[in-house]
Amino acid sequence: MKNIAISSAAVLSMLASTAFAETEITWWHGMGGALGETVNEIAEGFNASQDDYTITPVFKGTYEETLTAGIAAFRAGEQPNIMQVFDAGAATVIAAEGATIPVQDLLEANGVGFDIEDYISGVRYFYADVDGKMIGMPFNSSSPVMYYNMQALEAAGVTPPATWEEFETVTAPALKDAGYVALSQSHLPWIFVENFMSRNDLPFATNNNGYDGAEGTEILVNVDPLKAHFTAVTEWQDAGYFEWFGTGWNDNQTPFENGEVAIWLGSSGSFGGLSQLDLDFDFSTTYLPYWEAVTTEPKQTFIGGAALFAMSGQPDEENAATAAFFEYLTSPEVQYMWHRETGYVPVTEEAYELAKADGHYDRFPAAETGILQLSLDASENTRGYRMGFYVQIRDVMNREFGRILTGETSVDDAFDIIEADANGLLTRFAQTQN
Amino acid sequence: MKRAGFTTRWLPILLLLPQLVIIAVFFYWPAAHAVQSSFYLEDPFGFGSSFVGFDNYTHLAQSSEYARIAKFTLLFTILVTFFSLALALVLAVKADNVIRGAKTYRTLLMWVYAVAPPVAGFIGLLMLNQTWGPLAELAKSVGWDFKLGVNFADTAAAMVLVSVWKQVPVNFIFFLSGLQSIPKSVREAALIDAKSSFRRFWDVTFPLLAPTGFFLLVINITYALFDTFGVVDVLVKGEPGNNPMTLVYKVYVDGFRGNDIGGSSAQSVILMVLVLALTIFQFRLIERRIHYT
Amino acid sequence: MTETTHIPVAKRRLKWGRVLDHSILILGAQFMLVPLLMVLQTTTTTDLETIRNGPEFIIGDQLDDNFRAAMFTASGFSGENTGLRMLANSMILGIGFALGKIVIGMMAAYALVYFRLRFATFAFWLIFTTLLLPLEVRILPSYEIAQRLGLLNTYTGLILPLIASATATFFFRQFFRSVPEELVEAARIDGAGPVKFFIDILVPLSQTMIAAMFIIMFVFGWNQYLWPTMVTTDEGMYTLVRGIKQLTQDLEGTSIPEYGRANMLALIAILPPVLVVIIFQSWFVKGLTESDK
Repeated sequence: MKNIAISSAAVLSMLASTAFAETEITWWHGMGGALGETVNEIAEGFNASQDDYTITPVFKGTYEETLTAGIAAFRAGEQPNIMQVFDAGAATVIAAEGATIPVQDLLEANGVGFDIEDYISGVRYFYADVDGKMIGMPFNSSSPVMYYNMQALEAAGVTPPATWEEFETVTAPALKDAGYVALSQSHLPWIFVENFMSRNDLPFATNNNGYDGAEGTEILVNVDPLKAHFTAVTEWQDAGYFEWFGTGWNDNQTPFENGEVAIWLGSSGSFGGLSQLDLDFDFSTTYLPYWEAVTTEPKQTFIGGAALFAMSGQPDEENAATAAFFEYLTSPEVQYMWHRETGYVPVTEEAYELAKADGHYDRFPAAETGILQLSLDASENTRGYRMGFYVQIRDVMNREFGRILTGETSVDDAFDIIEADANGLLTRFAQTQN
Repeated sequence: MKRAGFTTRWLPILLLLPQLVIIAVFFYWPAAHAVQSSFYLEDPFGFGSSFVGFDNYTHLAQSSEYARIAKFTLLFTILVTFFSLALALVLAVKADNVIRGAKTYRTLLMWVYAVAPPVAGFIGLLMLNQTWGPLAELAKSVGWDFKLGVNFADTAAAMVLVSVWKQVPVNFIFFLSGLQSIPKSVREAALIDAKSSFRRFWDVTFPLLAPTGFFLLVINITYALFDTFGVVDVLVKGEPGNNPMTLVYKVYVDGFRGNDIGGSSAQSVILMVLVLALTIFQFRLIERRIHYT
Repeated sequence: MTETTHIPVAKRRLKWGRVLDHSILILGAQFMLVPLLMVLQTTTTTDLETIRNGPEFIIGDQLDDNFRAAMFTASGFSGENTGLRMLANSMILGIGFALGKIVIGMMAAYALVYFRLRFATFAFWLIFTTLLLPLEVRILPSYEIAQRLGLLNTYTGLILPLIASATATFFFRQFFRSVPEELVEAARIDGAGPVKFFIDILVPLSQTMIAAMFIIMFVFGWNQYLWPTMVTTDEGMYTLVRGIKQLTQDLEGTSIPEYGRANMLALIAILPPVLVVIIFQSWFVKGLTESDK
């Protein structure tokens, strides 16, 4: 029924557009399934909210496919007005100056006020340039958080661990005795590298995490704290505290849903989906643990997920439509709806206040974890990272981590290879920028 | 060529034109383009590029990962070719033996020919699901803790299995038609000469099937190298991770997922050279085949 | 084949052999068929049932619902990517590809075999070099060219680049060369021109070959995956096999994977080419086994 309603609304809006000569814009995104339906709802809402513009969202596959399709379309001069680009693709699109209109410029040029201070601190700079100018509009912003099975922790007589030391010595053994696998996670490079760096206040790359430019940027993963972490992970695996189910996201989430795994590290954006499932247990969320041995002042995490970029080369009236859509999208009501339905964090302070005032977090305390974690103390290591060919760098990490966890290689060898391969890719990327 | 019936001038050119134009635009142009791109490093959006000479090639030559993938591709090709041919041969010999139900068997054993490789992969995903896949359960019941997407060897086994499943029918059809074209007189003579059916097969049938086998060998190698793309893509669920992959899939991963146009083009050129060698081999084989028949 | 009657000694042993033959064939048939039956089973139960237990020995009552969902429910904003639409696109691709290939191939083969052409040898090599390099190895530049020509998300862009290989031309060339030479002489004496000869004599003569080629090419076109995956990004242009990618992603990305719908779509993607192969089995086998000569 929902689909019929949506498509008839689409037909209506198409009819309307011919009648009033509305400006039409397109939005390519990579949100499938239930998330895609929420995206469609937002578009519906925008189209219904005014008479001048019509937006059409188009699902383009995975994040990687959406980026590739957008790049190809740009080269052919057929780019959409808005393209969703995920965290790992940010460097590619931001480095290509002239491919996009910085969101800050777009909004200011079209009379929509912009103040970066309106945005919650964790999302401000990930998609910004080195001077702090926002290039992409943070859209589905998430952060890795810790989901835990409340009954399991209760049965084991433990509370969710704040540090990895606590996990290792207290939580995991107790959970094992209670018959659970203590831990699984769904995205090793994102959770155990990128956000590990941010949370433990470590630099991730030279050149100011890569923000200063592609030339000479080198990755800083071959370092003791990170290697110690992975060594610990393999020890947990041997002790039966941790299990790895492959690179696929769902393969690692399913055992948590089935109640075999007690703690799962996933995305704050998974909250909406998990809540819809009729799980046999209650679950809650808390911050990502950190290593006390590395830092006693844990910091905020990066935003993951993706941002919306306004593609250049479009007529002014379409850019005005894009600006109007961004204004609609960042309005507190829409942000709150998006946050409530999906679990992604609201990107503006105002939307966050609205969610609080509405009592959302009284009803679902777990829904607030992501935004709280993104609002913890910041440092120069927490704004994000900017590395070209990062999709491939992630593939390299996934490959080597998989090899570590299946016993094919040692932690030391793996990190040597990651460092070498990643720096090779970074050098190659710098060469494409000439 | 002995034949050359007509002497009209413009007609043959007109007849050839569509084919030549399509080939020029969609074959020669892209091939030339790939060779050219392989000497550059290019910004995905097309804003910048630098000429890097043979860098993309030396990069591949020095990459231990590329060597690993090449090695896996070789092993994968050998396994898929061997098992598809062996299974198909056994089934074809048996199908040629029986009289009752011969047609039904033939149909049941060849329909999978029409299943697309990614759909075959999709079915494989269902059969090998980590939580409840029937085949994964079967493996577990005999002590093989089968985990698709976790263990390299398990995922590789899945790829081989699905690829073989998909390829047995083609080989079966060719072997069966090869067997059925063996003259009755030869069969009867063999029946009298050789006592055991195994000897009969080995001494008489097998040599007669050899040309078909050689031909199929090339077909199967090409299949394993290129047509299994869909199988691999679906079985890794879009995340290369530590999963095995073939050289063709690597072209796709680097070019389309990673937007590394230069590196991916260099890999394409390497594959072109490989296929060229394979095809020269094939042409010589076909010549020999014509000689046989 | 009544060979057994002559050798009474072997009678008893042969019976056992027969049983073995049938067992092996039945096993082989099961290897082919059982995975498909399991997919079919999961389309009759609810998604939650499948998520929990996978394929089982029960027949549920969801077949109809799942079929409706697969055929008529669209998941995108455009409402365009229903199973029905994908089915239509697959049909267009399969039929368009087969027809295009046959028409262009026959024309080119006719020109090569029946005309005295100065550059015939050159054209021959120009065309047959395309047999060397599968689309997979020149995929990236092919894509760039399709994009430059504005062919992304068009049926032309979907079909034409796939036609840029000479398999059908090669096939018809071989066939035309086996047509008795006297026919051309007779036609010439009757005063028939090359066009009349082609349409009135050669095409009717090639009917069986055309049918065989059509089946093979239809299946080949229908099952294309990599090229459609790249060249179609509009949901309204998806083919069923390309849609498989979407399906696996949907299974990965959503909280309650729609197994019923996805598996039903996989079955719908399998059925048409399989039916074509089964129904026109003899033509198909003839076309396949003779195309290599």
